Amino acid sequence: MYTFINTVLIGITSGAIYSLMAIALVLVWRSTRVVNFAQAGQALLSTYVGYACIQQFNSFWLALIVSMLAGALIGAFIDAVLMRTLFRRVSHGPIAGVAPIIATLGLLGLIRAGLGLFVGNQDVIIRPPVSNVGYTVAGHTLAFSPLKLVIVSTSIILMIALSILFAKTNLGLSLRAAAFSPEIARLAGVRVDRIRTLGWAIAGAAGAAAGMLQTPNGNGSFSPDSLDFSLLLVFGFIAAVIGGLESLIGAVLGALLLGLVLAFVLTYISGSLVFITAFVLLILVLLIRPQGIIGAKRGRRA
Amino acid sequence: MHKIKSTNATRLLFFVAIGVFFFLLSNRVDELRVYQGATLAMYVVAISSLILLTGYSGQVSLGHGALMAIGGYAAALSHEHFGAPIWICFGIGVLAAGAAGAILGTAAARLSGPYLAGTTLALAVGLPSIANQFTILGGEQGLLFDVGFPPESLGPDFTQYKWYFWIAGLSALISIWWLQNLLRSRYGRTWRAIRGNEVAAELCGIHIGRSKTLAFTVSSGLAGLAGALLAMTISTVSPSAFPLALSFSLLTGAVLSGVSTLPGVMIGALTLVATPEIADVIANRIAASESVATNLPGILVSALLILVVLLVPNGPVEQWRASRIRKSANTHR
Repeated sequence: MYTFINTVLIGITSGAIYSLMAIALVLVWRSTRVVNFAQAGQALLSTYVGYACIQQFNSFWLALIVSMLAGALIGAFIDAVLMRTLFRRVSHGPIAGVAPIIATLGLLGLIRAGLGLFVGNQDVIIRPPVSNVGYTVAGHTLAFSPLKLVIVSTSIILMIALSILFAKTNLGLSLRAAAFSPEIARLAGVRVDRIRTLGWAIAGAAGAAAGMLQTPNGNGSFSPDSLDFSLLLVFGFIAAVIGGLESLIGAVLGALLLGLVLAFVLTYISGSLVFITAFVLLILVLLIRPQGIIGAKRGRRA
Repeated sequence: MHKIKSTNATRLLFFVAIGVFFFLLSNRVDELRVYQGATLAMYVVAISSLILLTGYSGQVSLGHGALMAIGGYAAALSHEHFGAPIWICFGIGVLAAGAAGAILGTAAARLSGPYLAGTTLALAVGLPSIANQFTILGGEQGLLFDVGFPPESLGPDFTQYKWYFWIAGLSALISIWWLQNLLRSRYGRTWRAIRGNEVAAELCGIHIGRSKTLAFTVSSGLAGLAGALLAMTISTVSPSAFPLALSFSLLTGAVLSGVSTLPGVMIGALTLVATPEIADVIANRIAASESVATNLPGILVSALLILVVLLVPNGPVEQWRASRIRKSANTHR
């Protein structure tokens, strides 16, 4: 019974982290029709900024905020400089459809290699801001520590902030309009380009938060080559696909589902099967429900 | 200028001529260049598989390195466990990667959008954990893949690297020749029609999903061949031989070659072979530290990828051809 509860708790924690990444991918996909594979690189870069901030001021919370700001700036910069140029220049030919994807992948490689060049490929460590020793309930130690509480609550706060932004503010309305139909939004006076850049910025901040929270939740160490960030990207993508790629709520639900499934595989079967399970899940979703678990409309079939 | 009519026979002759030229060349240059020639031929196969996918079905695979790994592992396994002759091992590599491509393609390639890109990227990221999962794959160490010494009938001076070069070069020539014919066949026309306009192609009775899946399957099979060739040149297959960076490099090679032109494939392959050397030269020239030497190739490849996509998105060859057509149109006016 306690194993079961612990598994659920572990699943929710990792699901919370995946959901931040999935949200980042969905936001960019909705605003630009690009799945931003550089998001892992952006998260890595922002986490390094956070790490530098911790070294300087010794505060995880300040570092989290700074790294999210850095992530937002990086995202906005990439959209404003690279993506806008790309869309202006590459509008025809067989490569037009895939050029943005290729460019984001190149960016991922560039960020990783560049970080390796400037900060070195050795591991650096972010210590958890609060204890990672599980709470004890009736003599049993739960797999839920203050750190995991912090992770889950930070994610929830960010998600609430995002949903308020999207549902209640004019800015959120512009974001939704620009994603829904750029042409009509432009006619209605929305500055679609700027709004798009803003979407990239929010996505960059969410990705940075995912990176900052993931690192102490794992073994705390990371490097430009670390697999954790690539896996974060892949799991975020799988979660977003489960949710249908279009919807933020779908992304969160997909991430929770993925986190829970992976936690159960990890506890009850074998840790080495985690990736294969996630991959099989992706293939199954694509085969059976390519429109995602909550997408009711026709999927983006060929 | 008299133009030679391009028929099947002339094309075959052309390929034979290229083969003879490279055969003569391989007798003149030193061992390192011969080895690089084998690598070059491997990249030619790998890049042309990507070109087929991107240029002719409008999709992109971010993890072709993983499909190469499947081909390499399949070849090594069949060699180790069944002692199959080397060319059968290559065939098994092609079939295994093609089968994997068919499964992935059925799930992702028939959907438009970023699904194939994400799925292949996921496969490339997870490759080490998959390889470590099955003890038969040999974990981090991987498997040995030894194609054996060259046959004695070729004489005592015939070196191992030259043998690699022969195998790889012949595979590359045959696959490019086959690919050219395929692209001129009904399937090639179908893919070009889809690339041109999906809706129009569908109205002509083309099953879009099936054609795209087929394109990805063929592309995966070719990638499997390239993987087996790569395994041959380094004598092993292991997860570290097929890193994520390999998939990035292939994409760079494909974009440089111009995704819609097969003849440009040499440009991409040459660049990929030359990049580590150039990086080495730069690192030595500025007497750089180890972190520069390890990261410089990655930076060069990624920067090149971004720059080419931004500046000459359809590849330098295509760009040059387009500008020539424009120029001749102007002079005729």
